[in-house]
Amino acid sequence: MVRTDLLAMLVPAMPLLGTLIIGFGRRKFTANTAGGLATVLVALSFVLTLVLFLGHHGERHIVHLFNWITVGEMQIPFTFQIDALSLWMMLFITGVAALIHGYSIGYMHDDPRVATFFAQLNLFTFAMLLLVMGSNFLVTFIGWEGVGLCSYLLIGFWYKTPEFNYAGRKAFVMNRIGDVGMVLAMALLFLQFGTLNYAPVMDKAGLMAPNNPVVITATLLLFLGATGKSAQIPLLTWLPDAMAGPTPVSALIHAATMVTAGVFLVVRSSVLYELAPYTQQIVLWVGVATALFGATVGLFQNDIKKVLAYSTVSQLGYMFAAMGVGAYSAGMFHVTTHAFFKALLFLGAGSVIHALGGEQDIRKMGGLKNTTRTTYVTFLVATLAIAGIPPLSGFFSKDSIMAHAFQESPLAYALLVFAAMLTALYMFRLLFLTFFGTYRGKAHPHESPRVMTVPLVVLAVLSAVGGVLNIPHIFGGNEWLKHHLITAADGVANEDLALSAATEYGLMALSTILVVLTIWYAWTLYGKKTTLDGEPADMPFLKRLIAKRWMLDELYAYLFERPFSWLSRHLFTLGEAKVAVPVTVGTGEAAQGFGEWLRKLQNGNTSFYLFGMMLGMVLLLLITLLSA
Amino acid sequence: MALLALVLIPLIAASLLLAMRPAAATARGLALVSTLLTLAVVLWLWYTWAGTAVTAYSLDWVPAWGMRFTIGYGGIGLLMLVLTGVLFPFIIGTGYKQPVGDAALVNALLLYSQAALFGVFMAQNAFLFYIFFELSLIPIFFLLLRWGGEHKRAITIRFFLYTLLGGLALLFSIAYATLQTPAPHSADFSALAALQLPAATQQWLFWTLFLAFAIKMPIFPFHSWQPETYTMAPTQGTMVLSAIMGKMGIYGIVVFLFTIVPIGTAYWQHLVIGLSLFGAVYAAVIAFRQDDFKRLVAYSSMSHLGLMCAALFTWNAYGISGGLYQTFAHGVLMVCLFYIAGMMEQRVGGNDLARMGGLKTRMPRFALLFMLIVGNAISMPLTQSFPGEWLMFNGLWQLNPWIALAGVVLIVLGAIYMLYVYQRVLLGPDRDVAVADADGEEHFMLVPLIAIIFLVGLFPNLVLQLVDAPVQQLLNTFTSLH
Amino acid sequence: MENVITAIRVVPLGHYFFLCFLLFAIGMAGALLRRNILIVIMCLELMLNSVNLLLVALSAFLGDTGGQVFVFFIMLVAAAEVTVGLAILVQLKRNTDGVDINQLNRLKW
Repeated sequence: MVRTDLLAMLVPAMPLLGTLIIGFGRRKFTANTAGGLATVLVALSFVLTLVLFLGHHGERHIVHLFNWITVGEMQIPFTFQIDALSLWMMLFITGVAALIHGYSIGYMHDDPRVATFFAQLNLFTFAMLLLVMGSNFLVTFIGWEGVGLCSYLLIGFWYKTPEFNYAGRKAFVMNRIGDVGMVLAMALLFLQFGTLNYAPVMDKAGLMAPNNPVVITATLLLFLGATGKSAQIPLLTWLPDAMAGPTPVSALIHAATMVTAGVFLVVRSSVLYELAPYTQQIVLWVGVATALFGATVGLFQNDIKKVLAYSTVSQLGYMFAAMGVGAYSAGMFHVTTHAFFKALLFLGAGSVIHALGGEQDIRKMGGLKNTTRTTYVTFLVATLAIAGIPPLSGFFSKDSIMAHAFQESPLAYALLVFAAMLTALYMFRLLFLTFFGTYRGKAHPHESPRVMTVPLVVLAVLSAVGGVLNIPHIFGGNEWLKHHLITAADGVANEDLALSAATEYGLMALSTILVVLTIWYAWTLYGKKTTLDGEPADMPFLKRLIAKRWMLDELYAYLFERPFSWLSRHLFTLGEAKVAVPVTVGTGEAAQGFGEWLRKLQNGNTSFYLFGMMLGMVLLLLITLLSA
Repeated sequence: MALLALVLIPLIAASLLLAMRPAAATARGLALVSTLLTLAVVLWLWYTWAGTAVTAYSLDWVPAWGMRFTIGYGGIGLLMLVLTGVLFPFIIGTGYKQPVGDAALVNALLLYSQAALFGVFMAQNAFLFYIFFELSLIPIFFLLLRWGGEHKRAITIRFFLYTLLGGLALLFSIAYATLQTPAPHSADFSALAALQLPAATQQWLFWTLFLAFAIKMPIFPFHSWQPETYTMAPTQGTMVLSAIMGKMGIYGIVVFLFTIVPIGTAYWQHLVIGLSLFGAVYAAVIAFRQDDFKRLVAYSSMSHLGLMCAALFTWNAYGISGGLYQTFAHGVLMVCLFYIAGMMEQRVGGNDLARMGGLKTRMPRFALLFMLIVGNAISMPLTQSFPGEWLMFNGLWQLNPWIALAGVVLIVLGAIYMLYVYQRVLLGPDRDVAVADADGEEHFMLVPLIAIIFLVGLFPNLVLQLVDAPVQQLLNTFTSLH
Repeated sequence: MENVITAIRVVPLGHYFFLCFLLFAIGMAGALLRRNILIVIMCLELMLNSVNLLLVALSAFLGDTGGQVFVFFIMLVAAAEVTVGLAILVQLKRNTDGVDINQLNRLKW
């Protein structure tokens, strides 16, 4: 037990140590030393997690560090919870993070602030680990806010560009809007249960009646928090803008780990969600709508990272659809495989950008499959995986979600299949435009260094075989991940697929065939393309609307940003300068004016004074007489 | 005796400064040593505190009325003493890099105000409290009048008269309440607390008392003196005003309003929470588009204080503990932010944010320090602001979820204006001006402050345990009321 | 002493009241209406003395010596007051070449 405690403390301590060492010595570190140290520390974390993982047999272990906040009845300890769910998250977070740290050594090699970059990346890893390891909502919230801050810092890493700074602030503020829900949910849960520790909260919640107002409110508020962090409708516009950050950041934070925190939170609170079918419906449809939104917008993006960003939004939609139908392990499965192939896609995109000297516009790419061989092959694997081609990992995870969705609501299933077709379309459009045809730019493409390609290959292998983690029964598998998670998240126990084997095979075949057809369609459209689509202005209305991201950014600007800015300015120029201050000053001036008038009595005429005196005496006399 | 030393040390040091008029370096050194001595005393009091109220010293004052010169402290008073003790060395230290005029005189004035502030927080007699309450204002008045910025005369006088108005309301209320106590009218806190005024009286007496504290903090709509004063005051003066003197309002609410007029407080509770939260949101919205760094910080301070006041009036353990805890956190934050503002003022020659921006390449160390402080200002967990805000939101939620929503919106607004000001000060395309990065002396100021921020953020119980017992006691009296 | 009191008591108290009121009114009117500062001071004396007279009379009628003690106080104050008043008079005469009390209104505000 002591050994587990020590290991659990060391896992987040490693990246924190890295932050401190690299942060304080950031002037002395070079790209290789800082990056090397950061990578080794995160890799150590991974190894330690692995040791923990191998020694873990389904129990829930609480690691108590110290009492954090104690007031009256409220006792919030600073504790970690080591169970199947947190271990699984820790495992792939540290694993993917280690790979991306290594990749960054090559990618960020020539940046003058490379040491700062690694310090912040390590800090992010630390915060993300706190998020998943916390044994109560508030410790999770530390990580939750911490990853938000790191995300802000890393999006605005190249701080000289005002747009990047704006993107960073936008990300943080939108996350904070979600956090309002999170904080309120915690306050509600505390009032209801008198504790915020996951285990007792879930135990006590399990005794409550389904669909009671407390649970519905709590789950909705938690979901608001999740929409912020995981870029779901309506709080999604920050994620595409977040691509302003360096590409490894997009891969680690805005694809593989941080954005899945919302999913993690829902799985953690699965007991609550199981009790609130009403909320589950909302989660399902928000997820489906987001999946469609991301997939449609992805079709018309020309920035390689923006395509991937909308793809992330769309895939996160799938995960929330899974949460909505109560398929928690399927959602977590998709979180994991998505972490593999989306990280790979971003790193591949980074490799392409690196090869082209910073070019991100796919209209100026093409024909790169010969010059950047490794990148091409790994990118292809990831694209096939995300499109859901068997037997790659994406097929299993996505299919598992869609089967559960079919069982719950065929309409949701149909929409998700449609989104899957769109996914195949935009991903292969991206692949064909980038790697096929002829090169349309002016740079001299070259393959990236070994330190960048090795993580690509590792991730490609994981993306390809990741499906074995949770092979469904119909293929003779034993759904390992589900059985692993069942010990940690009670909701997992409730998810069972009651479909006949024939239906399952049929659904799989249907979606696979449709996706393959879409890929063929994409080939006819973009496969040999040398010229490109026109500007949005030339498109028909619906296409133009989608290409302009459904005008969501503009809508928010008109609805919120501008009125807020106007209000801020005018509350000052009107409320303060025209009301509050003048009233105060006016009171003083009124007193002065009264004095101005009153001093006229002091006219220097002695007789007048005497007269006043006499008048006063007579008055006093009268008062005395009358009151007597 | 230790308690009396808290008043006497700064008093003697200040008088020495005035009598000897030493050179600037000696004056600052003496002042710093004196504040460090008081800090040591305060920490000793903190360390030895046994969890019960202490009456340290009691002396006949006006025997005919049974009035005694009584000083002492409970948990809440000790918290305030700690706040004053911890922050004053930093306020004096600010003078090293950001000197204001005649060092001997400035430091003497600051030390006088420190003595008075210690007096406020240790007084156990209402009239004694009142005397220190007003005394603390006088040195600051001279500091502002002589070394303020633009329009210093008009603004200082407005500030002085406005707060004096509050003081008079306080005097009136104390006098009235004292006359209701059984003879002799000693005006001891214990005598006033034992008073059970009729409900109708409490309802109006509440406002005369609240006015004094609302102006001091300030709470919307009694705030109009504050932004201008904070903006034009020399940095050290602003620090004393915002970090400590505003807290006299919070302290007064707990010590006077909650004990003398509990029924009145209950009666007006929702109105006051409404005003406070409205003011908090109002100030936070205004802060976003401010072009003057110091005024922006002033509005942010008002926003935080509004939330704290609202939390106090929730009347549950979380709200009151959170509000009191936050007095400490907010004090440290204000010293940090105004120090940062002062640093920028020196470097670019003004507070106008339009003159800043694009400086991060030249000021990387400064950027890191500022970022850590911004993290505290937007109450990131593990900084000291977070536990306080969390407790306050809890308190608000227990009162009413919708009120809590209005409060929690502040975390969004806070992020909006703080990150924006960080961007406008440092980020953007490089600007071709010669500005120096934060140097050793400035690190000497900010690093300990940031260490406090994280220390208390990690172990908020250090502060919370001070207020735990007194808050429980307050709540017991409330429950006996209903 | 006894015969003085008896002598005072010969006249009814009402007469004393009337006389004192008359004297006081004359003094008051003079002080308010006259502009010569010397006359004003004399009128003030008249008012003071009317009160003195009343005090003595009441003291005799009520058998309380306190009233007579007060008379001495008033006479003392009156002497001091006349001293100051005459000093002002002299200064006024020197500075303005007249004794008009309205010359003093330059001291206003």
